[in-house]
Amino acid sequence: MKTIDIVKRAGRNLGRAKSRTFLTAVAISVGGFAIVASLAAGTGAKHYVDQVISANMDEQSLVIYADSKFTDTSNAATNFAPGLREYDPDSFESQGVDMKALTQDNIDQLRQRDDLASVEPFYQLQPQYVTFGVDKGQKYSSDVYAYDGSKVSPTLVGNMPELHGMLGDDDAVIPQAYLKTLGIEESDAQKAIGSEVTVRVQQTPQSVDKDEIQAAFMKGGEKAVQKLTEGKTIDKTFQIVAVMGNSVNELDQQQGVFISSNAAKELSDFSTEGTDLHGKYMMAFAVVKDGLDPAEVKDSLKNDKFYASTAEDLQQLLFTFVNVLLGIVIGFGALALVVSVFGIINTQYISVLERTQQIGLMKALGASKRDIARLFRYEAAWVGFLGGALGAGAAWIAGTIANPWITDKLNLGDGNSLLMFELLPSIGVIVLLVIVAVVSGWLPSRKAARLDPIEALRTE
Amino acid sequence: MIEVKQVTKTYGKKKNIFTALDDVNFSVPSNTSVAIVGKSGSGKSTLMHIMSGLDRPQHGEIIIGDRDILKLKARQTDSFRAKQMGFVFQSFFVEANESCYENVSLSLEMSRTPQMERRKRIEAALADVDLTDKIKSKAGDLSGGQKQRLAIARAIVNQPKLLFADEPTGNLDTATSQVVEDLLFKYQTDNKATLIIVTHDEELAARCDMQIIISDGKISEIHEAAKKESK
Repeated sequence: MKTIDIVKRAGRNLGRAKSRTFLTAVAISVGGFAIVASLAAGTGAKHYVDQVISANMDEQSLVIYADSKFTDTSNAATNFAPGLREYDPDSFESQGVDMKALTQDNIDQLRQRDDLASVEPFYQLQPQYVTFGVDKGQKYSSDVYAYDGSKVSPTLVGNMPELHGMLGDDDAVIPQAYLKTLGIEESDAQKAIGSEVTVRVQQTPQSVDKDEIQAAFMKGGEKAVQKLTEGKTIDKTFQIVAVMGNSVNELDQQQGVFISSNAAKELSDFSTEGTDLHGKYMMAFAVVKDGLDPAEVKDSLKNDKFYASTAEDLQQLLFTFVNVLLGIVIGFGALALVVSVFGIINTQYISVLERTQQIGLMKALGASKRDIARLFRYEAAWVGFLGGALGAGAAWIAGTIANPWITDKLNLGDGNSLLMFELLPSIGVIVLLVIVAVVSGWLPSRKAARLDPIEALRTE
Repeated sequence: MIEVKQVTKTYGKKKNIFTALDDVNFSVPSNTSVAIVGKSGSGKSTLMHIMSGLDRPQHGEIIIGDRDILKLKARQTDSFRAKQMGFVFQSFFVEANESCYENVSLSLEMSRTPQMERRKRIEAALADVDLTDKIKSKAGDLSGGQKQRLAIARAIVNQPKLLFADEPTGNLDTATSQVVEDLLFKYQTDNKATLIIVTHDEELAARCDMQIIISDGKISEIHEAAKKESK
């Protein structure tokens, strides 16, 4: 028999058993649906990560550490395991993790390199409180950060620095989210520009001995002691030059008052004065000179015992998460497929039994074993194709309907979709299901091929 | 010319051995109608199955034209059967859910007839059996006699040189039997084909040029009618 004739005949045979064909196809389509939907989610997630990275990070930017813990992902578990560690005057304790810090010398050393355009340490600022000129001295807790010039942030009102630019030493930028608390309508945001923001930073209290306390008490009584143990504070006032707009692609959602790096250094130096932390930085942000490959600079830094991660590293890390999640969902889809395999085998066996006579007749009329086996395999292929098309189609439709809702719920921002369907993977899934169906139809088709035509045609 | 030489077919093993055909020898000239006659279980159906290559004997040769079909590979036997043989069965074996057109088409698919020729040949075959007006009807809607006529159309559409009929009138009443018999004999004489009918209907057997009577797996008698010479 010619292939085309077998395919047509297979299609007609299925058409005659409509509900059975449909139900078997539906069983397969569940797996197909899950796989197509997860592939779409994977594509969407990767696209989103890409967007977030490019919105947040300059491709040329590096994050540099003095400790390999953060860049060496191969033994992350032991790197961050809790435990007793030897004291190291250069180390830095942050959120329970003991790590080697960058010193001011390191920063200077990095700044002298000719492959880095700029190096800015990360200043940890923990202000006691901030006050705003528009709000008559009400105290608020807020983070304060050095402005990061390696990305362009959206501007609501005012003048933000250009890319790779820096704020003036007396300038500050506040996020859009602060306006509401300060009683300023978004439409009225211009009011904030030019107003003042004051940051109060407290110095870590110096250790004081008994004699000092006594001396202070003699001098000024209880108040003087309190003052002595309280630690010094500094108030620094900035002028708000811009309000940063909300960005849905903001990776870390840093919400705080942004000031120039010089001002941040000043405040940071003040607050850590006299402590172990003085002049030590957890990490530094650097920008690789244009035309140089960040990955190569990273390798060169490694020779000098500086450990860097590039924008691409971060992207890879996020992709790894996405891929793991994706693997799990696809695994469930595959499980559904395995279940449907038995459905196909079962249906095909019944079909062979029901059609013993037809098979016998075809053999008598000259159909070879191979023709019969192919007839049943093509029927299985048709079922697989229908199931795949049904599953992929349902996933596309469901995804298209659900996308706006998901985007809204996950706050992905307009124009971003979690489920991004691509034609090629969907076709791939359909092909996969056809193959799965044919493989599951193998045993029944063999049974059909081996049927004895004389037995089949015996009339009783 | 078909030669059946020393064909022996047994079922079962050792103690339970049953000999269906025991050293059967005969030859059938071309352009002849043959009746294989015998009681139930005499081995006449087995003989037909072996002659058509559907079944294989333990010993013997079946020479059709100049080749022993038992020595052909399975695929060659299948293809030979598709192109050179036609079959008509007692229970018709038409696909009830398919149209008459599709039923006849099955034979052309088996013989790998080009798509272009099919319609013409199917229409001609259905015209031969007087079912032209049923071409689009479902085979299941036909009467018994019509079904057997459809089966004949399916058997002759490839214009085989050998037409096998296994009790073709066994399920039909006398009037329709007559029509079916006439169609079979007409095809045989028009196409100078060989018609082999397995039957226990003596009247039908008498219409054939040659009668081979089988009992207990052996040929007991062969009659060749004198009228054959006149053809």
